[in-house]
Amino acid sequence: MDEPLSFFDCNVSFGPGASGVLRPCASVEELLAEMDWVGVEQALVHHTLMREHAPQVGNTILAESLAGQPRLVGTWAILPPQTGELPQGAAFFAAMAQANVRALWAFPEEHRYILDRATFGAFLDEVSARKIPLFLPREAGGPRPPDTWHLVYHLLAQYPQLTLVLAAHGPWGEDRYFRPLLERYPRFYLDISRYELDCGLRELVARYGAERLLYGSNFPYHSMGGPRLMVTRAEIDEAARRAIAGDNLRRLLQEVDLS
Amino acid sequence: MNQTALSSPLVQEYLATGRCAGCLVVDLHAHYGPFRGIYMPNHTPEQMVATMERCGVEIIVSSGHLALVDMVRGNAEMVAVAARYPGRWYAYLVYDPRDPLRGRAELEGYAAHPCYVGLKLHPTMHQYPLTGEGYRPALEFAAARRLIVLSHTWGHSAYDSPALLAQVAERYPEITFLAGHSGFGQFEECMALARERSNVYLELTAAYAVRGLIEKMVETVGAHKIVFGCDLPWFDPHYAIGCVVMAHISDDARRAILRENALRLLQRVRG
Repeated sequence: MDEPLSFFDCNVSFGPGASGVLRPCASVEELLAEMDWVGVEQALVHHTLMREHAPQVGNTILAESLAGQPRLVGTWAILPPQTGELPQGAAFFAAMAQANVRALWAFPEEHRYILDRATFGAFLDEVSARKIPLFLPREAGGPRPPDTWHLVYHLLAQYPQLTLVLAAHGPWGEDRYFRPLLERYPRFYLDISRYELDCGLRELVARYGAERLLYGSNFPYHSMGGPRLMVTRAEIDEAARRAIAGDNLRRLLQEVDLS
Repeated sequence: MNQTALSSPLVQEYLATGRCAGCLVVDLHAHYGPFRGIYMPNHTPEQMVATMERCGVEIIVSSGHLALVDMVRGNAEMVAVAARYPGRWYAYLVYDPRDPLRGRAELEGYAAHPCYVGLKLHPTMHQYPLTGEGYRPALEFAAARRLIVLSHTWGHSAYDSPALLAQVAERYPEITFLAGHSGFGQFEECMALARERSNVYLELTAAYAVRGLIEKMVETVGAHKIVFGCDLPWFDPHYAIGCVVMAHISDDARRAILRENALRLLQRVRG
């Protein structure tokens, strides 16, 4: 009998104060209970306070909350280096390693900065070289999808080696936006939490392979169950299914160099 | 209630086979054909029926995408498709309130097509309020025949908010209104409406993904007032079904939402 799929959710959060959430997830315990409810083994996690309050507070609380939680891997939010609100240079990456943080988020809309080379300069060069995944929310460029996709196009043109994950892009059909990026940038990834397109996974895997698709849920904004069943039953081969369900994310996180 | 979703036999069957033989799905909000803003790899009738097979969807009720733009051409196309799959594929007649003259002609042809089970209204797309005079012929027609009317509804819309649906639902109690997308963004108002008015049902397309919403609908309105839809060929039915079957609700509620409520409504229309 085949080994069961091992799901590793690339996009979940918990904590108070999340905007637009009908039913918030307040705690690590509640998050783990929901993962058990739908059969998800691991998750890459951020804390609502990283986004809704301040990274310098939320990052710390995230690290404290995940201590001793082997199923959860942490992420931190970034800020422009010019204001010095977060540790700088090597100290930042050392702190990530110490806190078991393996990926980063940028929230340029909420935190009011321009996500580009003029602001982040060598910092994102180093993030690229260390192969640290940088996650962007769908609203990174504002509420209109084209604005976020313009931001992604611009950022990748400046940092073509950046491991960039666009999280929870909208369900209303965005292939025409992201397919050119899949063709041009080998380290551009998609969180498929909102990729509901009928037969979309099948078509995407057939054309581009499964390597750059990551299972995610965008929990607690959205249900874990939808993408869970969609990936389980997608018309793709078992290797592709395992890659999307969790192996791609495990590989990405293993590649991260925080030394 | 199950200990986890995975301990439900219904969920186990979906995960293992992609379908549930004892709970074949009835989808009351589908479309057909390509559409302007989205790449859809799977929109031909053959492809859509293959998806239905894969996902254990027994019956769909569709309105043609083309009909939302060109009512006459699109309705004709839709009934031709549905007629190829009797008992499996039903249709909504799309009515465009901006063109009541041709709309009346479309309504007069309704009886000629046994695949019709009701009307599809899309006030947002037609930029015409659901309460407007242009909709009167369609609503009077539907009321006289006690039809199903699936209307797009969206929170705070000037054309089809839950408040506007409330006005027509009160005016036409003979019509069974399906609140498409459950008034997305004004869920509380739409749930209150479905709770208060026996002729208003919550339709789940897109809304199913909102975590905790299905549970809240079941708790505050009742599973008997919720029907399944997923905008096929837009969305993978497995995504939508996954949201329903892994919600924190009973297997009885899951069956009611995925199948039984819709069957009851279709039987009422078709006798």
